[in-house]
Amino acid sequence: MEKHTHDILIIGAGLAGLRAAVAATEISNNLDIAVISKLHPLRSHSVCAQGGTGAVMREKDSFDLHAFDTVKGADYLADQDAVEFFVKNSPKEIVLTEHWGCPWSRTPDGKIDQRPFGGHTFPRACFAADMTGFHEMHALYGKATSYSNVKFYDEWFATSIIVENNTAVGLTAIEMKTGKMQAFQTKAIIMATGGHERIYEFTTFSHTTTGDGMAMAYYAGAPLMDMEFVQFHPTGLVPSGVLITEGARGEGGFLLNSKGERFMKNYAAEKMELAPRDVISRAEQAEILDGRGLEGPYGPYIALDLRHLGEEKINERLPLIRDVAIKLGGVDPVKEYIPIRPAAHYSMGGIRTNMKTETPIKGLYAAGECACISVHGANRLGTNSTAECLVFGAVAGEEAAKHASNSSFHEISQQTVLAEEKRVFDEILGNEGDERSPVIRDEMRRIMNTKVWIFRKGDELENALKEIRQLKQRFKKMKVEDKSRPFNGGLLDALQLGFMLDLAEVTTLSALARTESRGAHSRRDYPKRDDEHWLKHTLAYQTKDDPRLEYIPVTITKWPPAARTY
Amino acid sequence: MSTKIEKTVEFRIQRFNPENNKRYISTYKVPVYKGTTILEGLQYIRDNLDETLTFRHSCRMGICGSCGVNVNGTPMLACYTQVLDLNADSVTLEPLSNSPVIRDLVVDTQPFFDTYQRIKTILIKKEEEFNKPDEFAQMPQELKKFWDLTLCIKCSICHSACPAAIDERFLGPSALTANYRFISDSRDEGNSERLKPMADNIWLCTQCNSCTMFCPKLLQCANAIVDDHCLVVESGDIPRTVKDVLESVYKYNNPMGTHQSKRMDWAKNSNVKAYPNVTEADVLYFVCCSNVYDIRNQEIARLMAQIFDKLGVTYATLGSEEWCCGDHILRLGEKGLFEMLAEHNVNMFKKFDAKKIVTLSPHCYNTFKHDKPYSDAALNVQHYTQFLAEAIKQGKISPSKTVKKKVAYHDPCFLGKRNEIFDAPRQILQSINGLELVEMKRTKQSSFCCGGGGGRVWTEEAQPEKRPCVDRVKEALSLGVDVIATACPYCITTLEDAVKVLDVENKIAVRDVLELLSEAL
Repeated sequence: MEKHTHDILIIGAGLAGLRAAVAATEISNNLDIAVISKLHPLRSHSVCAQGGTGAVMREKDSFDLHAFDTVKGADYLADQDAVEFFVKNSPKEIVLTEHWGCPWSRTPDGKIDQRPFGGHTFPRACFAADMTGFHEMHALYGKATSYSNVKFYDEWFATSIIVENNTAVGLTAIEMKTGKMQAFQTKAIIMATGGHERIYEFTTFSHTTTGDGMAMAYYAGAPLMDMEFVQFHPTGLVPSGVLITEGARGEGGFLLNSKGERFMKNYAAEKMELAPRDVISRAEQAEILDGRGLEGPYGPYIALDLRHLGEEKINERLPLIRDVAIKLGGVDPVKEYIPIRPAAHYSMGGIRTNMKTETPIKGLYAAGECACISVHGANRLGTNSTAECLVFGAVAGEEAAKHASNSSFHEISQQTVLAEEKRVFDEILGNEGDERSPVIRDEMRRIMNTKVWIFRKGDELENALKEIRQLKQRFKKMKVEDKSRPFNGGLLDALQLGFMLDLAEVTTLSALARTESRGAHSRRDYPKRDDEHWLKHTLAYQTKDDPRLEYIPVTITKWPPAARTY
Repeated sequence: MSTKIEKTVEFRIQRFNPENNKRYISTYKVPVYKGTTILEGLQYIRDNLDETLTFRHSCRMGICGSCGVNVNGTPMLACYTQVLDLNADSVTLEPLSNSPVIRDLVVDTQPFFDTYQRIKTILIKKEEEFNKPDEFAQMPQELKKFWDLTLCIKCSICHSACPAAIDERFLGPSALTANYRFISDSRDEGNSERLKPMADNIWLCTQCNSCTMFCPKLLQCANAIVDDHCLVVESGDIPRTVKDVLESVYKYNNPMGTHQSKRMDWAKNSNVKAYPNVTEADVLYFVCCSNVYDIRNQEIARLMAQIFDKLGVTYATLGSEEWCCGDHILRLGEKGLFEMLAEHNVNMFKKFDAKKIVTLSPHCYNTFKHDKPYSDAALNVQHYTQFLAEAIKQGKISPSKTVKKKVAYHDPCFLGKRNEIFDAPRQILQSINGLELVEMKRTKQSSFCCGGGGGRVWTEEAQPEKRPCVDRVKEALSLGVDVIATACPYCITTLEDAVKVLDVENKIAVRDVLELLSEAL
């Protein structure tokens, strides 16, 4: 087996990963940095981010306002010190990406334009039409590839983090082109692999965003925090689940039920369609459950009406949405409403880190959606995810660079690497069982979609947990039919499914344990927020048996929990 | 998702197994619903029929650029293409061209991405500018200038369809477009630095327009490359070959380095009339510099005159007042010179009273149709294939002799891709008794350029195996045809050159459609 050595390994090449690479090399261009991703960087899910990036750019706005909106949006589960740091650093990131070339949409006087977004009390979403993440990614990729000390391993599939004495010392990864496993020795690892919403059936996620980094860190001993908090985006295009940006409502779009009513007046009379996502998704789901959804071939749905915006505004501000609606939904939003319903969209939870993006494992960092700092608490506001990727991607790069500059390589034990080869190639690829991975995958997604969805109940969650654990047993009897090595999609699907099953288990278990309703976690059997018992973060640790849950307090600085209405 | 199965479609997929180097075709039956995309069809196969089928995919919303494949010979994004829209019971899927295949539909995109390493894809400004805490100002109208060019998802579809990209010296349509995106960004100050990486290779672009036609994000790549050309020409850092062509046009009003007084030499000993002796006719016959001066192509000009005579239409040329139409000059990047030529010709069209203009060259035809100031003059112009197809249809001429030949028709880009004239030349060929017309695999919209357009015919200096014409002749040879027929003087020149380079003059001939028709009359 070949062994590669780099001072820093960044796993994942979306916004957080690329931003970390740039930040690390800016600390020292003597550092040898590698970015490892199972996709070419520009294929990362970050390119799907549409509506905007939240930042305080103008005098009438303030850091406190952005921070409070975020904390309230989070249903007070966010760590407020992290939120304060986050909002202060976001504007700098907007300017940096602008300086690299990001084509931000502009005001008539040539400044970066901003649009309203759900839960924000000021129009602070900087945007590049409705392709914000796409343009940030292309600007960042241009920047990251301009350094000679950043090496890219495109289409390398990381399988495990090697930890010795609670220190991250290396990584195993499969070079997809050849199918060979290779070892990486390093001083610091940054996980930037995104969320895990592909555990659901109806999701806005790219096919490839399967939570690998969360699972690898979890196996390495790092706890996953607040995994019960999954954001359901109010506007997933029917039937594919493709994201229709919240910017569509930011620009003035309406949500209508089968009676043609703007039903949000009954749920958030003041904010209407610009209430936070959890509020709107619950409202939509309630309308559907009460029989006021529109009927379509793919089941009941809600109408997103943009017609009154007019063709010119739609073309200028929402060109991608129009194209996607025509190509994938068969409707032209200039003339017809768009059929939508809530879709799994974001994981507030993730690998637990502190404000320096450090995990409890020395030398292991995490940033972006795979991490939980927690800035988003129980519900993330739109525009805060791309902002988080940039702000904390940069922190991770800087911190990892400082750490790597002051530490030395550790030997990787041959045994560990051989054990991983055995797991992947003998136990998974070599397995001759009678189960198939697409079948198990679809069952997992169906369970999550029906029992761990927007509204949850104890008995259903228990049931889901039992079923997922059965699937984990069946996974052990799974056969990968493709036995060849080069670009073996069947093997990678199996590895990803293994990751997702454990993440589905942690998500469900954490949801079952939390007997309250807060933010995106809505328990029919515990409909109220319970600050007395549940103003705390969930931590899930892997054990030999079932995951172990622990709890840690939430950091409150300026904003004590209060009633949350919109 | 589940509604009603609309139909079952056969997916014929080109496979490649790198472990034993075997290429083969697999066929699958895929149930198709309203809205089912090619990508969903592929996933259906993987999940239910064959787990070994390998392809790339991710966002399934046309923004990540992973899933470009050739669908029935045309490159497109699998996730952005609905199966029912193809209107076919069988679809053939192949990996993108111009890149080595790793496995099945997965190609190695590294060479494509390497082209970006030759340019800078971030803003260039003085170092101190970047220390400023605020954003650089940019007015909405300044943003609008380059916005469309920022939408490239780097799917490599343009690269796969580009005839010039078979030569790795060429930056390629995507990187050249990206380069122009930065040049036209009001914030950028790296103009001179950005010209360097393209100065020695941009001339390989043939302006065939494939990049633009197949771009899933509708980027006007070919036009951006013309704009790049203009800047390079303006800078003066151009190869000798290009300089020679431009100087010839300055001097003689044609790119052939020959005096205009010799413009009617091709018609010596014939009764072809010309301005100023004649100032009105049914047809103004626009002959084209190549047909006028190139000894090989003069024959085509004479045959056309004979057919005009046979048809009994009155016709005349502009004589020495026919200047180069300027199509190549415009696309080489000399806009000023083009305008001078065009203004002269437009002026002459006003002086000459004709019902219509008939051109021999698709390049003249194209520029008369689409480029200002010609397009403003709303000229009634036909390519000769249109003119003759009409005449055959109306029974004015009927090819009576048998021409027993197996013929592959090569679509000239400026006739086919740029003007969608695919049928007229084929109708002419099909009217000939005994002639067996076969289609090359890359045909019509997906035709493979001969490599002569955009002025490259004047500047060609690539290694033989890197010339598009050589690639094209090999394709025709593989079909075992006697003749490659085409309808453009530049295609004739490049393809004949390739036949010589390949030393296959005894196996295959290059003929203009006009020559084959004349043989049958």
